Parts: sequence; C-alpha cells; structure tokens
Amino acid sequence: MYRKLIINDIKKSKLITITITVFILLASMLTSLAAILSASLFASIDGMMENAKTPHFLQMHAGEIDMRQLSNFAGEQANIENFQVTSFLNIEGAEIVIGEDSLAGSVQDNGLSVQSERFDFLLGLDGNIIRPTEGEIYVPIYYRKNGQASIGDSVAIHGVRLTVAGFLRDSQMNASMISSKRFLVNQADFEQVREFGKLEYLIEFRLTDPAAVAALEAAYLLAELPANGPPAITYSLFKMANAIDDGIMIAVLVLVSILVIIVSFLCIRFTLLAKIEEDYREIGVLKAIGLKTRSLKQLYLAKYSALAGIACTAGFVLSLFAKEPFLTNIRLYMGEAGGSGLGIAFGMLGALIIFFVVTLYVNGVLRRFKRISAAEAIRFGAPREKSKAAKGFRLSGSGMISPNIFLGLKDVLLRKKLYVTMLLVLAISSFLMIVPQNIYNTISQRNFMTYMGIGECDMRIDIQQTDNIAGKAEEIAGFMAEDSDIEEYTVLTSYMFDMRMTDGSAGKLKVELGDHSIFPIEYSYGRAPQSESEIAISGFVADDLEMGLNDTIALIACGQEKILTICGIYSDITNGGKTAKAVFDTGDGSGSVLWSIIPVRLQSGVTIDTKVAEYKNRFSYTKVADIDDYINQTFGGIADAVQKVSYAAIAAAAILTVLVTLLFMKMLLTKDRYSIAVLKSLGFKAADIYIQYLTRAFVVLILGIAIGTVLANTLGELVGVGLIASFGASAFHFAINPMFAYLFSPVFMAICVWSATRLSLAGISSLKISEYIKE
Amino acid sequence: MKKMISGKSIVKSYGKGQEATNALNHVDIEISAGEFVAVMGPSGCGKSTLLFALSGADTINSGEIELDGQDLSKLNENELADIRRTKMGFVFQQPTMLKNLNILDNIILSSLQDNKRNAKNITKKAKILMKDTGISELEDRDIAEVSGGQLQRAGICRALINEPEILFADEPTGALNSKSSEEIMEIFSAVNKNGTAVMLVTHDAKVASRAERVLFMKDGKIESQLSLGKFDEHNMEDRINQVILKMRSFDI
Repeated sequence: MYRKLIINDIKKSKLITITITVFILLASMLTSLAAILSASLFASIDGMMENAKTPHFLQMHAGEIDMRQLSNFAGEQANIENFQVTSFLNIEGAEIVIGEDSLAGSVQDNGLSVQSERFDFLLGLDGNIIRPTEGEIYVPIYYRKNGQASIGDSVAIHGVRLTVAGFLRDSQMNASMISSKRFLVNQADFEQVREFGKLEYLIEFRLTDPAAVAALEAAYLLAELPANGPPAITYSLFKMANAIDDGIMIAVLVLVSILVIIVSFLCIRFTLLAKIEEDYREIGVLKAIGLKTRSLKQLYLAKYSALAGIACTAGFVLSLFAKEPFLTNIRLYMGEAGGSGLGIAFGMLGALIIFFVVTLYVNGVLRRFKRISAAEAIRFGAPREKSKAAKGFRLSGSGMISPNIFLGLKDVLLRKKLYVTMLLVLAISSFLMIVPQNIYNTISQRNFMTYMGIGECDMRIDIQQTDNIAGKAEEIAGFMAEDSDIEEYTVLTSYMFDMRMTDGSAGKLKVELGDHSIFPIEYSYGRAPQSESEIAISGFVADDLEMGLNDTIALIACGQEKILTICGIYSDITNGGKTAKAVFDTGDGSGSVLWSIIPVRLQSGVTIDTKVAEYKNRFSYTKVADIDDYINQTFGGIADAVQKVSYAAIAAAAILTVLVTLLFMKMLLTKDRYSIAVLKSLGFKAADIYIQYLTRAFVVLILGIAIGTVLANTLGELVGVGLIASFGASAFHFAINPMFAYLFSPVFMAICVWSATRLSLAGISSLKISEYIKE
Repeated sequence: MKKMISGKSIVKSYGKGQEATNALNHVDIEISAGEFVAVMGPSGCGKSTLLFALSGADTINSGEIELDGQDLSKLNENELADIRRTKMGFVFQQPTMLKNLNILDNIILSSLQDNKRNAKNITKKAKILMKDTGISELEDRDIAEVSGGQLQRAGICRALINEPEILFADEPTGALNSKSSEEIMEIFSAVNKNGTAVMLVTHDAKVASRAERVLFMKDGKIESQLSLGKFDEHNMEDRINQVILKMRSFDI
C-alpha cells in the first residue's frame, strides 16, 4: 500500500519531489565527497610521510658544521632514534635552465640533493625511493604542476647538462608554501656542480617519541648547535604544509554541504507542512475512523524515507565519480595511499548519516500530527490560521500604492511564518555568493601581506647566510640613499637573543630590530613597538610563551638583561612564524645577527623588474625579490583556488535561489488557487496577479539580501578569518568589493528570483475561475 | 428591450471521448438589459455551468455567447478580465472574500484597479453601498469577524461597486438562514429596480419568485420557462405558488 501511495503522491507533485530529492542528493554527495577526500588526503599524506620517513625535527644551517658535536648530541638524547645531515646545494634560480627557460623568476630556493641514506627519502611518483643514475635529474612535482618541466627536458646547471628522468615527491618541501625545493641528482653530478652553489646542511632527526619534539627543540637551541638557517621545522608542520591546499578545498566543501543540508531541511519542512495542510481534512477523517497517529506518520515518513534513500544512494554513487578531479591533485602531490577503500567507507558513512538525519528530521516535523483534532480538521478542512489583519495597513488609506503591490505587501506582512523559509534560503544564497568572493578579494588585495607579517613594499632585499651581514646591509643602504628611484627603505635586522623564562630557564628569541613604522604590518592585538622598552611578538611566540599584551619578556642583550613589555601581537608566516619586533639598540651585538632585510618602496613610475635586476646585479650576495611576484607565487595558488570556489558558489547560489523560488511559488500558487480565482472573478488580469506575486517575492528577496549581506560581513568574516587563519594570518577584516557585494550580487539574485517567479506563474492565466469557485 | 446577453447552442462537456458528459447541451438563452432571470433545476443539471459560461468565467466547447453584441469567444483573457471588472458583478454561495483584507478593502479592491487616484470617491461610494445593505458598521472588520449574512451583503456591495450592467449570482442565499435570505433578496430586488440585470441560480422557489422569468433546466437543457412579470410584493404568495407548481411538473 505504501508503494502505491508514494508513487501516486510523487506523480501528483513532481516538481516538489524532484527539488527535495535534488537537495538531499546534493547534501549526501557533498558530505560523502568531503569524507572521501579527507580520508584520502590524510591517508595519502601519512602514506607518503611514512614511505619517505620524514624527519621529526629539521634545522637548516649554512656554513661549517661539527659532525662530532652533533653526533654527541644525538647520542645524549634518549629520544633520538636516528639522525643524519644531508646536503642541499643552493643554486641561484637564474643558473638552472630547464629546456629554454631559467628559474630566475622563481621565489623558491632551488637546490640539488642526493638521495638520503637513512631517512627523509625523495620519492618517485610510484612511491618508491628514487636512485638517479649519472646524467639524470628528478624535478620537484611543483614544477610539473606549473608546467615548467616535463620528462625528457634537458636541464643545464652552470653548463652541466642533465635530463629530466622524472618527478619527485618531497615530503618536506612539496607544498608551494614551503619556499625551498630539492632537485635530486646522482652523487657524481652533485660533485660536478658543487662549486657553483652554496652548500647548506639539513640537520635531521627521527624521534622515538615524536610528541616530545618541543623538548628536543629546546635542548638543541640550548646546546648551541648549528642553526643559522630558517627556524627548525617539525613533523607536524610538514604534515600541515602538505595538507593545506587540499584542506582548504575540503573545508569549503564541508561549509557548502552544511548550507545545502540547512536548505534541504527548510525545503522539507516547508513542503511537508504544505502537504499536511492540503491533506488536513483527510488526516482528520483517518483519525476519526481510528487510525493511530503513528500509522498516519508512517504514511508520510514512508515517502520521505524512500526519497532520502534513493537520493542518498545516488549522492554517494555520484560522489565516487565527482571525487576523481579533486583527487588528482592529492594523488599527484602525495601519491595514492591504500586508503581508497577507507575513503569510500567514510563516504558511505557520510551519506548514511545524511539519510538518518533527514528521516529523523521528517519524523520531528510530523510530530504535529498529535495536535490535529479530528473534529476540527473535518469541519474546517484546514488549520485555522491565527491571522490578524494588519489593521493599520489599509487599501482604502494606502494612497498611491497600486492595489496589486498592496496585496503583495499585505500578504507578506500577514503570513510572515510562511515566508520565513524562502527568506532564510535567499539569505543563505546571498551569503554564499558574497563570502567566498570577499575572501578572494581580501587575499588578493595587495595589503593582505601586512596581515601575514610582511610590510607593504615593492621590492625586498634579503641578506642572509653570509658573513658581515650588518656591513653589507649598510653598504646597500648607503647606495639606496643615493638612488633617486627609491622613495623609502629601511633596514630591519634579525638577531637571536637569549631569553630568561619566567621559571628561570633559558630560551631563545629571534627579534627583528629597526624602524617598524615605515613598512607597517597589521597587528592582531596592540600596535608596533615604539619605545626601547617595548616588544611585539608573533602569534606563535605568544602561544609558546603563553603571554599576552602587557606581559613582560626578559632578553639578554649586550650582556645585560632587558625587560620588555609586549605592546603588540601579529600574525607571521615568514621564518617559521616565531619572531618578535623591537626598536632597541644592540650596541655591538652584531655577533648574533641572523639576517637583514631591506624593504623598499619605489617612486611611482619606476619599473619594479628593472630595479630588481639592477640590485641583483650589483649586490650578487643578496636575494632581491619583487614583492608582487613573491606574493603571487606564495599565495597565488590559494587565491586562484578561492576564486574558483567563489565562482562555484555563485553558481550554487543561483541554482539554489531559482529552485527554491520555483518550489516556493508553486506551493504558494497551490495554496492560493482560491484567492486567485476570486481575484479573476473580480476582473484582475494574469498580469495583475503576477505583479502581486512578484511583489511578495521581491519583499522577501530584499529582506533576504539584507540579512545575507549583514551575516556575510559578520559571521562570514569569522568563517573567512578561520579559513585564512589556517594558513597563517589572523585578525583581519574583509576587504569588500562593493561593486560585487552591493550591486552585482543583489541584481543577479533579483534576476534569478524574477525568472523563477515568472516561470512558476506561467500557469495562472489558464487557471479557471469556475474550477475553484463553483459550488 | 435591448439584448444584454444571448447564447446560441451552447455546449459544455466534461471528460473526453465516450466518457464525456454534456453539462450544457445546445442551450439557447437570452437576457435583456435590466431583466431579472432566475435559473432553477436539480443538482448537476448545469445551471451553475450556464452562469459561468455566460459570464465568460468558463470556456465552452461550442456555440456562441454575445455580451452587449461582443462575441465572448473572440476575447482574450485580458479583455474578458476588463469586461468582468466593468460590466459584471458576481455573488457566490460562499462569500469569496480575500482573507487578507478587511470588509471595506474587499469591496473597493476591484474598483481601485482602474482608479487608483480616485480612492476617496470609491471609498465614499462603498460606504453608501454598505449603508444601503445595512452593514455600514463593519468596514474595519476582518472577514472572520462577521456573520455569513453580513459577508454576503459585503459580497453584493463588492459586486456593485463598479456599477455593473449585469449581476451574476450563484445560489447567493444557499448558505443563509431564511431571515438573512429574505434580506438579501430584498437587496437584489432593489438592485434590479435600479436597472441592473440579474441572473440568479437557485434551488429555492421563494428566491426564484422574485425574478421576472424563471428558467427550468434538466440534463443540460432549458426545459421550460415561467414568466412572472415585474416583481410585486403584493402577489408574492401567488408567484411562489406558480414556481412550485412548475417545479413539480418537472420533478425538481
């Protein structure tokens, strides 16, 4: 009997059934997809890091190292399972020519390595450890993705010719956000080019208890072992770096599926209530002849369970196809882990959860059956609406408003509850349209770098891993003072200071000294240091030290203890993120200089490229970067991904708006058939009635857009902050594109609502008065 | 007398093929301007269908209907709407009022459609109609707050607001008690006296006896008619008896 009832019911209300099925299907597909992708991503990352035996702790160092000292340290530490020092031969990008093009424009630190002996292996795309023969070079997968290299290309490094034999996965440096890239060559080739590069060492440890890495880091610094490279990196950081690009995509998927689930629920609730209203008298009759509420509920539940079952199964199956394009990136970078079965199991679980949640929800909505009185249902045939005519709002006193617009407005005012569903969906659509666009707009703004710990400048010179850094910085600064193309510059020098912790133990802190007011960054809390007794610290340091504004830090500088008050906390993605900024004078404390940077703002009209080339030439020992290139290459990928997502979100919002408006208007028409017949008998034309419904739709639309926009700028900003915080920045404000948020998006939604209303009202001219009024 | 409506060989059927039933089976009818015509007949005889067909509220399968010399079948939906609004008034058995509006707004709604700027005069006119029909104290009421009889009066006011040439009434007293019914019919008589033609469908001999002419329908056809002459209160008893007699001869 259920089957017949369900089929008859579906035949009668095709549009509604299809819409609801589509929403449940989408919800189940997205949930399943997110589950499959997360499971695959983490399985692949784990698989790769396990195969590669990624170090738990890594410190880079340029210059002499004392192997015996390191061995002793490794021997003393009970937690160290294995230890090795591998070489990284840093080669200037311009010296690496792949095919015709050099890597001169690359912001990456490119270098050659040979395969490690004990762990930290560089893997081929088949997941095996690569052993290159003479003349072969394996190129980081990053360059394949960029299209800068393909198999068989020739690579010339200082005249030494090699052939690209394949691509490699580097469990440490795969991600575009990690700014070093290792090329793998044979030992003999490595020796050949050795003299042309700058040798750096990767000091790597594997631990028996990876959780205790913080203790090892502290011990390492305390032992004053070689550490002049970028700060130490740990296993969990490698893992995070590997997960970030695809992780953001998954986070967006989850976000979208949550919205779709909400919309599905709203639609289910709306159609179910309308259906109950339609069947009110029959429900009363069934109750009167003694059917139990439970059996009645089952009649309705059966239909929705069947729909949900079909939709969730179809959603899950579709997600198996839809996963492929999303997985290509994960497969390329991380390789296929045996996790595909696990991923599918998770996907199935996701779809199953959606099924149960939908049935539970329907069951909840149907609880109102208990409240239906049989007598009342039979007598009145409809739930008695407690509608109080808005007394103050009268047609007779409405002046110039046309009766059609008046009727539309009044209906919305009187049946507010009915319009809430559409209002919420339109608010969600508008939210969905604006937020990803705002995130994109925010991260593609030039000043976004100031939220990441980088002052807004045109060109940046880095002086590091060389001797007499202070002297060289002075030399460059002197030259710049004479350069009329330069508007502003400043020298910021980072020092490593000893720090006395509150518990008396010693620690280390990298502090950047100089004038921080010329190229200001954004502070999450507080402001830049202005006096000698102030210090600003990065969010990571604040977390490590468990300190906040107005706490004090004791540094040992120039042999004396300096007590500094924390005046600001900022986000930093540079140099491992553990930095501080202060303005005090070190005197001759030049011994602990780590590096200097010189941010430069050029006069308007000066071409940045030319200037970068000029300084590169003149000061060959420095790294000169066009900051736009740097930003592009570091965040460009993420910005592109977010842009794609924002386009998808616009499409999704449009579909959502059209579908729900269609559904809603159709239901409304069914409900209002009688009123429409009355209006027609009074001589109202189809066009008049159309204006009334359009008025209703637009009143709800305007409110929906207003709510959606406000939510986008408040809640949406929080979501955006959460997302962007996952790659380093925090506490920023949306940069809203007003043309998009306040013009394009509302107009686009208005077009969607208008077309959907038009479409759903197409039937009113054929609606016959006699059918609904005749006794 | 000027012809108001004329229908020739009107056929209206429901269903298709062999299962089709003719609700109107080649009906010929004429109503003059200012005439009061009642249509009687058993349930399902096609009397309401005839009313809806003549008013253009329903389409017909064949035949011809002219209103004021205009062929209804040649008019499109919008032209029909214009005619409904300017030349016709409708009163139904259940008062078809819009829930969202109060009584006064319901009455003036269709009139405002053409004369937004004239709202004041229209409201004034509506108030006069309400006074004439005895519901002047109800203008601000919700339609759920008044009785069936009061609602039906409001429905008549609404039908009259545009000063129609003909008033169509489909069992206007069907849902009312006899006292209310009597009062409503007084109003119809008064309206007709002022020159508006009335076509009224009813089961009630007493109601029909107010008409000048009573048509008797059976199985989609007009079987017979009875001319009673202009309404006169003094021979009401006699008129009713004539209708009842005629009804009996038709098994109605």
